[in-house]
Parts: sequence; structure tokens; C-alpha cells
Amino acid sequence: MRDRNRDELISVGIDIGTTTTQVIISKLTLENLAGRFSVPRVQITQKEILYRSAIHFTPLIEHHLIDAPAVAALLSAEYSKAGFTTGEIDTGAVIITGETAKKENAKAVISQLAGFAGDFVVATAGPKLEAIMAGKGSGAQAYSVKHKKTVINIDVGGGTSNYVVFNNGKVVDTACINVGGHLVELEPLGSRVAYVAPAARKVMRECGLTIEPGQTAAYADLKKITDKMAEAVVAVFAGTPGQGMAGELMMTEDLRRDYILDTVMVSGGVADFVYDQEARALSMEEVSRYGDIGPLLGVSLHKAVLESGLFVARPEETIRATVIGAGSQSLEVSGSTISVVEDLLPLTNIPVVKPFAGLAPADPAKVKTLVERSLEISGFEDTSVALAIAGPADMSFNSLQSLARGLTAGLTREIERGRLIIIVLEQDCAKALGQSIKHLIPGNRSIVCVDQVLVEDGDYIDIGKPIIGGRVVPIIVKTLVFNRPDND
Amino acid sequence: MATEENLESMIVQNVLKELAKNGFLQNVKTASVPQVSETPTHRSIVNDADEYIELPPISEILIHEPIHKETVAALKAMTPARIGVGRAGPRYRTTTLLHYLADHSQAQDAVFLDVSDEFLQRMGIFEVQTQVSDREEHLTRPDLGCRLSREAREKISVNCKKNVQVQVFVADGLSSKAIESNVAELLPALIQGLQGEGITDIGTPFFVKYGRVRVEDEIGILLNAEVVVELVGERPGLGTANSLSAYIIYKPTEKTVEADRTVVSNIHMGGTPPVEAGAFLAGLIKDILKAKTSGIKLTTG
Repeated sequence: MRDRNRDELISVGIDIGTTTTQVIISKLTLENLAGRFSVPRVQITQKEILYRSAIHFTPLIEHHLIDAPAVAALLSAEYSKAGFTTGEIDTGAVIITGETAKKENAKAVISQLAGFAGDFVVATAGPKLEAIMAGKGSGAQAYSVKHKKTVINIDVGGGTSNYVVFNNGKVVDTACINVGGHLVELEPLGSRVAYVAPAARKVMRECGLTIEPGQTAAYADLKKITDKMAEAVVAVFAGTPGQGMAGELMMTEDLRRDYILDTVMVSGGVADFVYDQEARALSMEEVSRYGDIGPLLGVSLHKAVLESGLFVARPEETIRATVIGAGSQSLEVSGSTISVVEDLLPLTNIPVVKPFAGLAPADPAKVKTLVERSLEISGFEDTSVALAIAGPADMSFNSLQSLARGLTAGLTREIERGRLIIIVLEQDCAKALGQSIKHLIPGNRSIVCVDQVLVEDGDYIDIGKPIIGGRVVPIIVKTLVFNRPDND
Repeated sequence: MATEENLESMIVQNVLKELAKNGFLQNVKTASVPQVSETPTHRSIVNDADEYIELPPISEILIHEPIHKETVAALKAMTPARIGVGRAGPRYRTTTLLHYLADHSQAQDAVFLDVSDEFLQRMGIFEVQTQVSDREEHLTRPDLGCRLSREAREKISVNCKKNVQVQVFVADGLSSKAIESNVAELLPALIQGLQGEGITDIGTPFFVKYGRVRVEDEIGILLNAEVVVELVGERPGLGTANSLSAYIIYKPTEKTVEADRTVVSNIHMGGTPPVEAGAFLAGLIKDILKAKTSGIKLTTG
């Protein structure tokens, strides 16, 4: 039997971005922090990065397909360099980001890759999650906790810039704009334009420029383009929302802006040029050395961000922020008193349905009605769903019994169809609720009830096998919404 | 000449009136409202004149014009300790002091008040007493709180089944409030949990007045129970007066020592909720029955 108070997990992060693909392998240490005389309290106590891959260009076929065999080969080469086999990887996340998430075969590639990467490695995508992972990986989240500030992290990638706002560690807002360093591709070390993405065309039009692939671009013209892009990036959180270039390039809803920002942090490949004091005056060779306008966008952003009026903080990670977020920050642990049947786990890609706005109603009949209605509206016909519940009407035994009765009644059809009963609670009462449900349907061995996890309607959840002597389960909460292809 | 008691009452009244006048206290009622508010964040103080006031919640930041108000709020949210309360010269501000006095009074009440008959009736459990004869002796003679009176031994022998797998009982220990606020939620969850684990041979629960932790040894021996679970009120603090512990022991004997007990502490609404603790204890008891040992041997073995 493994140690009941300590466990280690090897976690992989794989980021397939617009421009680059990276892999990191990290070790997560989980420990029971409660004393001998208390109910256990398991937390992730240490995250150590064991291996950082080289930064590879994302293998693409033409401009619209991910070269899946090449990505798989890249991953196996990195595993063997790192000295790990697939079997040794306990968990992790593959994230497909930016423009790459729009490729026709994105969804197929990422799920195959997740299976190939390890047992409990999950597939993720979507601008919201991408932004959150980057903000965790860059250190913006930790910064907001340490300094008790409201911090916006902008991860400027090849195709998109992702915003996430943290207030004292909590995600309060996210957004995404179609600005990135790889939207205009250049001949490396030269000045000939190789490719212009649709979003870059919009920017060029705004600047009164037309530069077609094959033409030579002037430094001054490229700078005009990156200045315009940088202006749009900053306008999203410091300007008038929805206006001008920023409004045109937004890929999500605007930031809500119902909070006061203190600090801005920039991560992503471009960020190195935002913070590098010596990068202010670049030659044309330096601009095009990665085959795109990334370095120049960094220079433009430096000025734009400084002029935003916010304190500019330095990230702990720049180009690797997202992959580190995916590899070492995506996993959380459930509460330490839960009710699960080990054989049912792991569960992956379980859609989350939230039947009640706040705490559950006290009346079992009402619980039943609301559960049935929410299942009907969500329309997941061929999969088990997880019901996300803040908690019972109050923390009394009677309220828990009422909730258990209402849930069991509301899930009758699901139970008859052999679906699992998956309950994700916010408040610490999963073990008690789990046993109350079991009490009502004795012999049913398909109940998974976990707590101290925050999920929202529309999220997806992955639940791993129990660790630390069966006390907790690892959980990955994600949004599987893929970017809609824009009109190209 | 005023007696000291009258003087104190006079001071308190004047201070309260002054505070109310300056807008430091919300909701001062001059009408005679003798009952105590039940909202936990707004503690109430009833003074001699039946005046009753509500203190601002303890989460309120009392620092004068804080530069980082949100930071203080975030820090306060992390702990029930009295931080971010500002000061009046070198001392507490009045609200802080009144909160402190109220919490101290609650802690004292928890120690000095009996578990009510009404509560025992509602729970349907009978009461026995240790060799301690009154509250005073309960505090000064812990040794007597570890031994059952002769009447108690007889009553338990008559009312309880012997040789059960699990015997649960409740003892006031140092907080009767811990009993009244947790046992009604914990006990049914524990019993439901045990039944769910297939453990149905459970003894009749009862209440031991003036009980200490070690009284569970005598009860275990008397009933020849395999596992004994004592739910006992913890020594109250200024953070909470309602915390309950469960002391579990496998087959106690005269030679039992403290290391033989498995303890789960900090059971209250602000710690491990009592329902969840009940469910957790059921699993723990199952492990103890399986391992046929408890305490330090269970954790290391």
C-alpha cells in the first residue's frame, strides 16, 4: 500500500499553439496536511518541473491541418529524451491553442494525442481555458494571491492574445482577441512576407496598407501594423470596449470590466520582447528571425502596456506559460472525505449540469423537478452527466436526506438507463450525501460523489482514480468549447 | 454608594449609549426585548436594563481608513482570529472588546451550563452520571470524570446490549454547547454510514454527564463492546465554543493508554461539518474493526 499521507504524480503538459509546440513534465506532490487528530485535508504541496522540451514549430500541413503523425513523433521523441514512458505519466493536459484550435482536424488530433500521452491525460481547448492556464503558468495567479491584487495576464501567442483576470487567486474574467505574433509570416532573416492571416489583413486595412505574400515589407510599415495590434490589445482592458480595431478582432465577449485592475502581466513568446530592455531597437533580421512579426509586436506592446497606466509586473514564465499551466496547474484535488467507487474511475469528459442557482431547495419535490428540467434542457442523451450542487439547503442531516431523496427521484430515468450518478459539491458534505443516496438505492454501485470543487454549467470534468490511500481524487475542470473558425 | 456590580452596569450602559449616539452600533433598541438574536454574525449583548444591542459582524474591518481595504478583507477571510481590528491608542476598539467579552462569555457558558433535558429528550437518549457530583468538581477532579457512578453502571447494564460491534455515547466534557449543536446532525449520519458499511450491531447510545475522555474505557469494558466511540465536547476557545471530538478505541482494557485512541477533532459548522464527520467516522470505524486496533497502531501499522 502506498503512503496514506503522501503521494507523487507525474504530470505532462503539452501545448500545441499557433506557432510552437512544447512539452513539459512535472512532479506534483500531494500531502495530507491535517494532523493525526483531524479529518484529512489533502493538498498539492509542491510542483516541480522535471523536464522542459525544446520549443518546436507546430507541424502543420498547408495552413489548415495539424500534421498529427508529426506531432505524435515529436511527443515520443520528447518522452524518450526526458526519460519517461507513457506508462509512467499519471496525469496531465494537452491544450490546443490559438489559431491551431481552428484547424479542421483539431478535435480529432487532440483526443488521440491525449490517449497517446498517458492514462489520465486530458484534452482541452478553448480560449477561456487557454487564458486561465497561461495566467496560472505565468505566475499571475500566484502574484494576485501574494500581493492581494487584481492582475490581468495577457498571453500573447502566435495567433491570439488571451486575457485572464485574477483577484486574490480567483479567476474573475477572461477574453480573447485575434492578435498574435504569427499573423504575418516573414521569410526568416529577410523581409519578404510569406503569409498574411485574415486578422492581419483587417489590421493592414485599418493602417491603409496592402502587403501580399511574396512582397517585401518595409520595417516602418510592419511597425505600423504591430503598433495597431498592440493598441488593440491594450484597448481591451484600458480603452473603450468594443470600439475600433479591438472590437473587430475580439473572438469572445469583451471583458466585463466591473473590477479595478492594479497590475498587468504579459506572457507568451512575444513577452520576451516586452520585457527585454535591449530589444527596443531591432534590425530587420532580428524582427524576422522566427519567421514572423512576433519580436516587433513585443516592442510595440512594451510601449502600449506601459501607457495603460497599470503597474507592469514581470511574469515567471513567458513562452512556456501555457504549457506549464497545462502540465502543472490544471490538476486539482477533491475534498478529502468523498464517496466514490474506484472501479468507475477514471471518468473523462463528463459534462456538468447545474440544476440550482444557489443552494439546493429544501423540498425534495422541487429538487426532483429542477434536476429533471436541467437534464432535459442540457440534452446530453448518451452520456452520464455530473450534477454540480453548491450544497444542501443547510448542513443538517435532514436537509441532506431531502436532497438525496430529491436527487434520486430526479435521476430515476438516468439510473434506469444504467447511467452513473455523479455529484460534484461545493460544500464539504460529499461523503454524507453519497451514503444517503446509497441508503435510498441499496446495491447501486454507480455513485460518485465528490466535494470542494467549483464547476459551472457547461464545464466538463475529468475525475481520476483515488490517490493517497483512497482519500481524494484528482480532478481536472475544463471547457471543451473549440474556437469557431472565423470567416477565412 | 454604588456596589461594584451596579457601577459596572452603569458604565456599560453609558458606554453603549455613547456608542449608539456616535453611530458605532447599528440597531440599538431601547424597548424591552429580552431575547437574544440568533444571527451568528451579529452577537447580542443583553444588559441589566433589558436593552439589547447588536454588534457589527466580526468580519467588519475596524482599521481607520485602511490603504488596502481588500487586502485586509482577504486576510480576515483566512482566519477567525481577531485581525484587522484597528486600535484605540494602545487598546482594542470598543466593538472588538465587546466581541471579545461576548465570545469569552460563550466559552464560559459552554463549560458551566448543563446539556439540557429538552435536548436529551429530543434525541431520545438516557442520561447517566460519573462519580463527579457537581460542575465545580467536574472541573477540579478530572479523575472522577473518568469513572462511572454505581447508578450509572447499573443503568447502562440494564439499558444497553452487551458484546456489540460498536457502542456510541455522548459526554459533555468541557462544552455542553458542542453537544447540543453537533450531535443531532452527527449521530444519524454516523449510524446511517455504519449501516451502509454493513455494520448493524450497534449499541444504544446514551449521555454521560460530567464525563471525561477516559470514561470510555470503563464503558467499553462494562459492555464488552468491540469499538467504543465517545463524542465529547472540546475545551472551548474564543474562536468557537462548539467544537466536538470523537475518541474511538478498539477493545479498551485497564491498561489502555492515550496512544490507543483514534481521535477526530474540530467537528463543528466552522470546521468539519457534523454530518460529514459522521460519514467520515463510519468509514474510520470500519477500518478499525478490520485492523482490530486503534490509535497510533492504526496509523503506523
